[in-house]
Amino acid sequence: MKKAEYSGLRLTRAWLRMSLAFILAIGAPAAAASGKKTAAEWLEQLGPALNMTSYRGVFVYARGANVHSMQIAHRYRNGIVEERLVMQDGGSGEFVRRGMKVVCVLPERGKVHLDQIIPSGPFAEAFSSQLVPVSRWYSAELKGDDRVAGYDVVTVALTARDPHRYSHRLWLEKNTGLLVKSHVRNANDEVLEHFQFTSLEITNDLPDSEFEIRTEGHEISRTLKAAGKLPLKQVQSPEALTEKPRMHGWKLGWRPQGFEPAAAPGAGKSQAVAFSDGLAAFSVFVEPAGRVSMPTGASRIGATTVYMRQLESEDKVFLVTVVGELPPASARRVAESVQVGEAFMVGAGEQ
Amino acid sequence: MDDRLRETLSAMMDDEADELSVRRLLSQEEQVEVRAQWQRWQSVHDLMHRGSSPADGIDISASVREVLDGRTRQPEPALSQRRNTPVRWQWPAVAMVTASLLVGFGAGAGWDSGNNPPNGLASASVPEAAVNELSGEASPVRELALQGLDEQQWEHMSRYLLEHAQHNSVGAGQGSVGYARLVSASGAY
Repeated sequence: MKKAEYSGLRLTRAWLRMSLAFILAIGAPAAAASGKKTAAEWLEQLGPALNMTSYRGVFVYARGANVHSMQIAHRYRNGIVEERLVMQDGGSGEFVRRGMKVVCVLPERGKVHLDQIIPSGPFAEAFSSQLVPVSRWYSAELKGDDRVAGYDVVTVALTARDPHRYSHRLWLEKNTGLLVKSHVRNANDEVLEHFQFTSLEITNDLPDSEFEIRTEGHEISRTLKAAGKLPLKQVQSPEALTEKPRMHGWKLGWRPQGFEPAAAPGAGKSQAVAFSDGLAAFSVFVEPAGRVSMPTGASRIGATTVYMRQLESEDKVFLVTVVGELPPASARRVAESVQVGEAFMVGAGEQ
Repeated sequence: MDDRLRETLSAMMDDEADELSVRRLLSQEEQVEVRAQWQRWQSVHDLMHRGSSPADGIDISASVREVLDGRTRQPEPALSQRRNTPVRWQWPAVAMVTASLLVGFGAGAGWDSGNNPPNGLASASVPEAAVNELSGEASPVRELALQGLDEQQWEHMSRYLLEHAQHNSVGAGQGSVGYARLVSASGAY
């Protein structure tokens, strides 16, 4: 790194430490004047860059003992995002997305029916529009330059400001701001989840043929809801049109600061809500306990924690599950704060 | 050493083992192996905290047995007492080590072994779960080994994992990372 750049970085770091609450307000103009982007500016660019950059490549994703690689083609043309992802190992499968329409072809596996699960939206806006407040919950810091998949990148460290979330490290391509590598790390700086492009070509020259489904198999097609439309729950049940329809039937007594309700996916007896702080997300599922008896405790796969517990409320037993990229202690605290209301219990009795 | 013993040992690391399991562990014939495993885990734990391992060469089985015999009538106060010690700040590291060891040493190591869970483990964890958890800020979070879930439990958990991954994939603002999580979750059973 050049000496001038380095001293600029050091100044930026010192500034970040001194004025944590005013990074965006004060830090950005200062850096813009010197012609160098701040960590906050790189982050602002992250969301748009993910959608509006056209590229093809192969990336690997590792969490726990699991490693997957996928081939991806992504094109942004006439305001429409087109994307095709093909699994490179294990069973064959692919996702094709055009605008808000998603088609998944996944191999038949196990007993879980994907068609009950695949997209129920609308999450996109809720999550991506929160990228700016990220710096309230994470301290952003530039970590210098690097090279990933043949491209020059800038490294941004997002360190959690409290113990209720994990820290992240992002590698962004210098010209487009495209995310080409990321880590999720715990408080001991151990990498829990790793995403990285191993080959990448950023180009606008992507033919239509790269966005056609080629895998044979059971196709599942869904149209994502545009942002601003009614969530699924509201459409389904008129009585849910109350003040907080997403939390219908139960409520959380505690959640880590900054995690806001993002959506209420799913249908039937399961009540789920997704929460996001703009970077990490967790989902809470509350449903009457069925015939399957689940143990209480936390399981982890890389950065993802699954915390399950039984909740007894007036003779009814409910299964509370918290799934998300948050530390086990936080997941447990969220799960233990769930309170089931009367309405939900009546519903449970009718099952 | 079988998985059930290994789980008890790991629960002991977390202060979560019940008395019966500990007794069973101590009455095993393969004490040398048990001791070696315990020392390995303690070494890893101590290395992470202090850079040295005082557990080497120390046999604690006799004193643990003594403590058990002396406190059979009142195990609960002992537990809560321990929870008030500074151990609370160490749990993430211990849990982390335990988890990685469980995954690393477990039969058929890793995520994919959900199809063939050892039945003994599954039946061991359910009754324990039925006992209400001793919750509190200071207590360590009980770790559930994925290998310990039976097929139905696994299926149940997979559904939640998938649904959550799907929330991410559609719009976590992370594009392909979300899809990768989805594939990782769906490839897990």
